[in-house]
Amino acid sequence: MNVVVAAPQVPFARGGAEIMAETLVDELRARGHEADLVTLPFKWYPGTRVLSQALLWRLVDLDEADGRRIDLVIATKFPSYAIRHPRKVAWVLHQFRQAYEYDRTELGQFSESAEDRATRRAVERLDRVALGECRRVFATSHNVADRLRRSVDVEAEVLPHPPQRLAYRTDSYDDFVLSVNRIDRAKRIDLLVEAAAAEPALRVVVAGDGPDRARLEQLARDRGLNGRVEFRGRVGDDELVDLYARCRAVFYAPIDEDFGMVPYEAFLAGKPVLTTTDAGGPLEIVADRETGLVTAPEPAAIARAAASLDEPTARAYGDAGRSRAERVTWDACIERLLAFA
Amino acid sequence: MKVAYYSPMPPNRSGIADYSAHLLPALRRRVEVEVARPGRHPRADVRLYHVGNDPDAHGWIVDALAERPGVVVLHEHVLHHLIAGITIGRGRGKAYLAAMERELGVVGRLLGLGVLDNLLPLLWETRPQDYPLVGTILDLATGLVVHSRTVEEAARRHGYGGPIWRIPHPAWPHPAVEPADVHGEPLVGCFGNLNMNKRIPELLEAFARLRAARPGARLLLVGASAERFDLDRRLERLGLAGDPAIVREEYVPEERLWSLIAACDVCVNLRFPTMGETSGSVLRVLSLGRPAVVSDVGWFSELPDEVALKVPVDEFEARTLAAALDLLSLPAAREAMSRAALAYVRREHDLDRCADRYAAALEQAAGGEAVADAVLGEVARAAADVGLPDAELTLVAGRIRESGL
Repeated sequence: MNVVVAAPQVPFARGGAEIMAETLVDELRARGHEADLVTLPFKWYPGTRVLSQALLWRLVDLDEADGRRIDLVIATKFPSYAIRHPRKVAWVLHQFRQAYEYDRTELGQFSESAEDRATRRAVERLDRVALGECRRVFATSHNVADRLRRSVDVEAEVLPHPPQRLAYRTDSYDDFVLSVNRIDRAKRIDLLVEAAAAEPALRVVVAGDGPDRARLEQLARDRGLNGRVEFRGRVGDDELVDLYARCRAVFYAPIDEDFGMVPYEAFLAGKPVLTTTDAGGPLEIVADRETGLVTAPEPAAIARAAASLDEPTARAYGDAGRSRAERVTWDACIERLLAFA
Repeated sequence: MKVAYYSPMPPNRSGIADYSAHLLPALRRRVEVEVARPGRHPRADVRLYHVGNDPDAHGWIVDALAERPGVVVLHEHVLHHLIAGITIGRGRGKAYLAAMERELGVVGRLLGLGVLDNLLPLLWETRPQDYPLVGTILDLATGLVVHSRTVEEAARRHGYGGPIWRIPHPAWPHPAVEPADVHGEPLVGCFGNLNMNKRIPELLEAFARLRAARPGARLLLVGASAERFDLDRRLERLGLAGDPAIVREEYVPEERLWSLIAACDVCVNLRFPTMGETSGSVLRVLSLGRPAVVSDVGWFSELPDEVALKVPVDEFEARTLAAALDLLSLPAAREAMSRAALAYVRREHDLDRCADRYAAALEQAAGGEAVADAVLGEVARAAADVGLPDAELTLVAGRIRESGL
């Protein structure tokens, strides 16, 4: 089968969505399909640029490719699902969040001006049209599916995907909590830094880079935590696997997250996950006192939770998480997606 | 973004005043709203005008619309009574003729002259549905909000080319009401002004048939009688005068209204001709999970079959209605419709969902043109830069249109 995976690309940015799209292409190829990644750069500001950039996807002609039929287009993030194809499915990681759950929050981008409000509505309308054309809409989590239903009346089938394929292993349960994330405000790594300030025994390693890094490093200095909060920056696969293998637990508490691969990765390394009651998607697999700990989104609560995780408890939760994560396979995902070709 | 909101408001006793009182708090949670008063125009990004058929309640709103065009909530598409009121009623016969001519050309103008010269009966009383005169309002509307497919299609039939948002009439929340102490087997209710338009003669005839088969049946008639509608004489003719099977209440306050609806086993709301209106009474009935029997016309036809039995307006109307009421005398039939009615109202007429749709419509109306200009400008510049040929430009235009951009 000839399959195109469509995904937008923000130059120089790489995160879970990019990894997911690339992995999907690899996994399709591994099963004997002709698969390719089609991508366009995406810029969502200023003003109405989000719409004109979305329109670029609408102009892409994928009816065929140099005489070869394209059997299926699998679109992922906004605005790639605006692509026009008779056999299109969307596997939605998230919509353009600034137009929905981030709107009128500090993470939003649309002001109260009439033009900004109308731009937001145009995004909504485009979602209705583009997703409405799909043979099937999949969502990576119940959280994303609920948002689709609430915001644009689109029914989506929940289809979580496995994390990136790495040689996950469990070495030890050292005395540090690991954060793996792009460092921006929505990921709320400052909660973990503040937790370290509240709990003198808590040591933290932050892997990842992003626009909020300087602020967090300053915060750690201001709190006098320099020795206990370590910023590693962007790490390679080997270092990431090593950190997972040695940490006591993994902290993952973005606000109302779509899905998040990190809990799956943590579980495959046999590590429990610390998250918060308002984290959204992660709560679908992190069960309190079964596969991790779910606390209020407050530093003191997170500090207490981290301090309560002795090695046997962390191991027990991590093992339970691993058995859950192992049930999510590429075989199952690809079978569902290709059923709509 | 700020909305100037033009509508009759309580204590005005119109359905549209009730509607606005119900909608406004939810709308205010989503957009900034200032309610306009006659002669006062708030500064705003977009204006929303509620237009119904009553010239006393809506005349000043049409005046404001003419001065400052905006989005019109078209509660009904037959507006002859309104137009006559704000033209002939104000001594502006020529404006009436212009409205008639706009709709029907020379024939319309001649008919209008016949009305002005008292040579023809008043068309807004005798045949308004044949001469809706909605065009005068459509000409002024930058966008339309309608409650039904019926009104949307009528607007398009009259040549309206602007944006139309179909937003269901919000239902009232299911109140915890104690049913009134009125009983029947079954108790059939009819709520609203009693007049020919509501097919009261047909209802009375159907009820007489039902009662012959089911002596325990009672009919509850709630609402004022129209001036030229002699209810007592009609009851007398059917042998129902003074019969305890007929329970009569005039205008009742809201709380009593709910309580009476709750007491009914089935409610009847017939209509012909229809002006395209949505019935607040029917929505109240469905909100309480009571089965409805309605005429198979206009908005009423759009109700799902599982929540309302629809009676065609024809020579068998009274018989069909009697059969429907007989069927709904069976508790099992009523229970299925009751469940369906509650689910339908929750799904389609939820206040928050309606307010969300209003906010979306108003935001699109206020800034949509600027957004379209910006996007099209950017695309046009890019197209000009690469010298895009006509065929490709057509393709690009098509893609823009289908994306709703």
